[in-house]
Amino acid sequence: MQYVFLLHEDQAAWDALNEAEQAEGVAAHMAFVGALNEANAFNSGAPLGPAGQGKLVSADGIHDGPFADTKEQIGGFYMIEAANLDEAIDWAKKCPTAQYGRVEVREIPDYANG
Amino acid sequence: MQFAILFYESADDFSARLDPARTDYWQGWASYSRSIGQSGKLVSGAALNGPEVGATLKSGTVQDGPYAETREQLGGFFIVEANDMEEAMRIAARSPTAGTGAVEIRPVLPTTTSED
Repeated sequence: MQYVFLLHEDQAAWDALNEAEQAEGVAAHMAFVGALNEANAFNSGAPLGPAGQGKLVSADGIHDGPFADTKEQIGGFYMIEAANLDEAIDWAKKCPTAQYGRVEVREIPDYANG
Repeated sequence: MQFAILFYESADDFSARLDPARTDYWQGWASYSRSIGQSGKLVSGAALNGPEVGATLKSGTVQDGPYAETREQLGGFFIVEANDMEEAMRIAARSPTAGTGAVEIRPVLPTTTSED
C-alpha cells in the first residue's frame, strides 16, 4: 500500500530558527529520506512554500491561502510504501516532523484494483 | 517551477467515489487528469482515502483521524509544472473540486537532490 504523510508544521516557529538550526532540520529530513530509501519505502516527497503565499480557488472565487485557519499548516508531504497502516505509523514516528509538529498519515486507495 | 494543487473535497465528493450511480465524479476527474497529462504539465499526484482511516502523530502519540476538523478534507493532490502562480491557478480552477470544495495552490520549494 502507498501512504501519504501530511506534514503539519508551524511556519512561524521555522522562521524563528537561525540558519544553523534550519540546516539541522533539513538534514534530519534528508536522513529520514535516506532511511526510507534504504528500506525501499520512499516514493516521493516535497517541501511546500509558506501557506500564507498560497491561493485558494473555489466556487466563491479566488482567495489568499491558507485553506485552514490553524496554527500548523501543511508544510510538505512524503509518499511512502508500507505493508499496512501500522507499518506506515511506525515510519511516521521516525519522521522529524512528529517531534515538532504533526504527521497525518493517509492511505492512497487502489481504486483500479479495489 | 512546480506547484502543489491540494484538493479539499466535501463529504459528498468522498462518498461519490464508491457510489456506482455517481459516474459524474470519476468522469470529471478522468477528463481533468487527461487534459493536464496531455499538456505535459502533470508531474505526479495521488488520491487519498478519507481521514477516518488514517492517523495523526504528535510527539510520538497516535491519534485517529485528521489534524484539522474542517468541513472539507484533503482528498488528493497534483504536482504540476507551471510558469507561475497565475498558470497554476488556471490549472487548479478547471478541477472538479473547484466547483464542489476548495483547491489550494502552493509553490513547491526546490530541493537539492544532487551531490554537487
